[in-house]
Formats: sequence, structure tokens, C-alpha cells
Amino acid sequence: MIGARFRFTRPETLEEALDLLAGAGGLGRVIGGGSVLVPALVAGQDAPALVVDIGRLGLGSVREEDSDVVIGAAATYATLLASEVVRRRLPLLAAMLREVTGGPGLWNLATPGGAACYANPASDVPGCLVALGAAFRLASRRGERLVAAENFFRGAFETERSPDEMLTALVLPAPEPGRHAYYKLKHAASSWPIVTASCLSIDGRIRLCLGAAAPVPLLLDWPTPSTTEAVAAMAEQVQAAIATEWTDELAGPGYRRAVVPAVAARAIRAVLEERTS
Amino acid sequence: MSEAVTLRCNVNGSDVDREVDARLLLVEFVRDVLGLKATRVGCHTGDCGACTLLLDGAVVKSCLVLALSAEERAVVTIEGSNNLAEIQAAFVAENGFQCGYCTTGMILTAAELLRKSPHPSDMEIRHALVGNLCRCTGYDAIIAAIHRAAERRGAVGYAVGSRQ
Repeated sequence: MIGARFRFTRPETLEEALDLLAGAGGLGRVIGGGSVLVPALVAGQDAPALVVDIGRLGLGSVREEDSDVVIGAAATYATLLASEVVRRRLPLLAAMLREVTGGPGLWNLATPGGAACYANPASDVPGCLVALGAAFRLASRRGERLVAAENFFRGAFETERSPDEMLTALVLPAPEPGRHAYYKLKHAASSWPIVTASCLSIDGRIRLCLGAAAPVPLLLDWPTPSTTEAVAAMAEQVQAAIATEWTDELAGPGYRRAVVPAVAARAIRAVLEERTS
Repeated sequence: MSEAVTLRCNVNGSDVDREVDARLLLVEFVRDVLGLKATRVGCHTGDCGACTLLLDGAVVKSCLVLALSAEERAVVTIEGSNNLAEIQAAFVAENGFQCGYCTTGMILTAAELLRKSPHPSDMEIRHALVGNLCRCTGYDAIIAAIHRAAERRGAVGYAVGSRQ
């Protein structure tokens, strides 16, 4: 059992949830699937005063809204994997979701929205959302705001979301899908990623977002290259763009920096060769 | 702070109404409060899958779920699951376990896989089992058992549900 005591609520309305969070100061936590928060509570790494479960707020759906796809904050990996809308309009997201590890017991619980708010650099979700130009819909008693993905991720395990704010939805622009590739390097089927690469071909340009290489996703953009030398040069530029390398127990200093050019080049080549991951 | 709170849910087809501490995990609720010991505690980090049970009809790792999050929801443990006999027999026939600690999770996960994909490929089986660890490293036999169960089932799909 978890050691430190806390108050648990499972409100039925967003208003009630936001009132509770506002009243908890910095000691309120939002729980979606629980795959991050619950182990942290069990291990005594976090000791909130209040846990707000969003399971009754009706935030679990995927909807098309004009040219956007709106993914509720409580939508699970399984919901998105089964979504025809995601498959048809966001093939890069679908490719990323298929590569998430953890098994059905996790996919049926955990949420990409939660993974984004956790902002672990070595995660599949942040880099893919930045590549897709996602926006984060944050709600609080103070009102609602939409934060672009490149501003949302502020550092390792640090986001633009304030403690009194709740992520209610991910808003993804979904123009006609072009060529895409999701490629990641990891040591074993069940391990966290070492480096991820989300790559898109849009309007004659190549957009590449590297995840896990740095504390926040790294977004680069070029005209479509026509030679293998140009791809190699792009891959070198990605490596040079790493200001601070992310390191963790899976990959110590120098490792991610060393593998980034190969990962970037593979993702770019996959898009150029029209292979989809 | 976290005084006991009432938890109302349905477990294996029966309505349950208990006072629980907010700090209790769902796996602790079924094991220690309800005495359903087939669901195991392995890692407490969501890695091993020994605590697999069904929540609203889908397999979940119950060490990642607060007991109170099951309010007004349906929990099914392996004790309350039906339609597993052929999968269990296949695990016996293929020696799909050594110590048996992971077997609950393996069987419930296999049942969900076979419900969605009655004739899974080797890769589909391996992908479905990526979150269920066997410390005795009996994976080849487990995969063979799931193939055997699929063959025995033939083309007939089946569901995991609670025994009413």
C-alpha cells in the first residue's frame, strides 16, 4: 500500500475537478491511467495532498473538429490504436502508438495525454506530438488556453502546465497525410526508447523531430534532399543541434549524441523511399 | 486526510460495497480485502503483468490502478473468468509455466489476444505478451501454448466475461 496519505476524488464535472485542483495549491495531482503516478506514490517519490481521477469527465474520446483531430486527455493508447480517425488522418501518430511498449495491460490504461504531461524525455509521445504540431488544451479556474507543443515541453519532466491546470485535450492539425516514418532505437522490445525520430514530408520539405536525444524534443526542417550526401549532412546537423544531451540509466554521456545521426538518417531515408513504419 | 472511503463496484459478477483506504491499490483490494489470491503482485511498477485482471472488460495491470478508481466499474479476476479452460489446458499441455507466478497474467492476456485475433501469428503473440514477464524464461512454451489454444478454438471466437 501507498505510504503517504492523500485525498482521492473522482469528480463528475470538469468544473468540480478544476475547483479541487485550484484549492490544492501545488499539492494536487491529476490521474489518468495511473501508470506514472501510482508507481511514484508506491515508491514514496511523490506525496500529494489530493489526487483527482479524470475517469468520469468524458475526456476519453477522439473527435474530428474541422481540420483538426481532438484527442481527449483520458483517451488511452488502446482507444487511439483502435481509432479509424487516427489511422486515416494521423498515420504518424498511429505508427508511434504501434511502437509503444508495455502490453495490452498498459495500453488499456495509460494515456498519451498523461505521457505528455509527465514529459519524460525518453518517451515516444513528446517528440511525435511536436512533429505533428500538436497543441495542448489546458483548463483551470482561470480559464482555458491552447499551448503549442514546442512551448509545452519546457525541460525534462517539466511542462508549461501549472499545478492548477488540467490537460483536457490534444489538438492535432490533420491535413492530408503525406509520407511519414516513425523510427526508434531501443535496446530491447520492452525498454524505454534511446532515441526516437518522427519524420514527415510536408509541402516539399522534410520535418524531423528527435525525441529522447535532449531534455525536450528537437525539431528541424529542410527542403527535401535529393542526394544521399544531403541526407548525411542533415543527420550531422541534427547532431550539432543537440545543446544538452539527455542521459539516463539506459544511455550515459555521449551515447545518444553518437547514435543520433544514424537514427535521423534512417527516418529521413524511410520517408524519402516512401516506406512507412 | 485519507480516512476510509466507500468503494462500490462489481467483482466477478457480484456487487461489492466496502470501506477502503484511498491508498489501497486495486490488486491489494482484490487480494487482501476480497481474498482473491490468483491475481499476483510482482513489481509494483507496471512492468511484469502478474497483477493483470479485467477492468470494464479489458486487461489492465492492477498495480497501476488505485482501488477507488474502480468505483462503479466491473472488475473480473481469473477466478471469475469463464471460457479459459482450453487456454489453461494448452498451457498444461505445452508446459507453459514453471513456477506459475506469471500464469494468471499470461492467460488473461492470451484470452484478450485470442478474442481480438483468433489466429494470431508468432509476432502478434510476442507483441501481446510484451508486458507480461516470465522470470523462469518459459516464453517459447507460453507462445506454443497460445498457438495450441488458438488451434483448438478453431474459428470460434470467444469472450472473457464474468461468471454470472
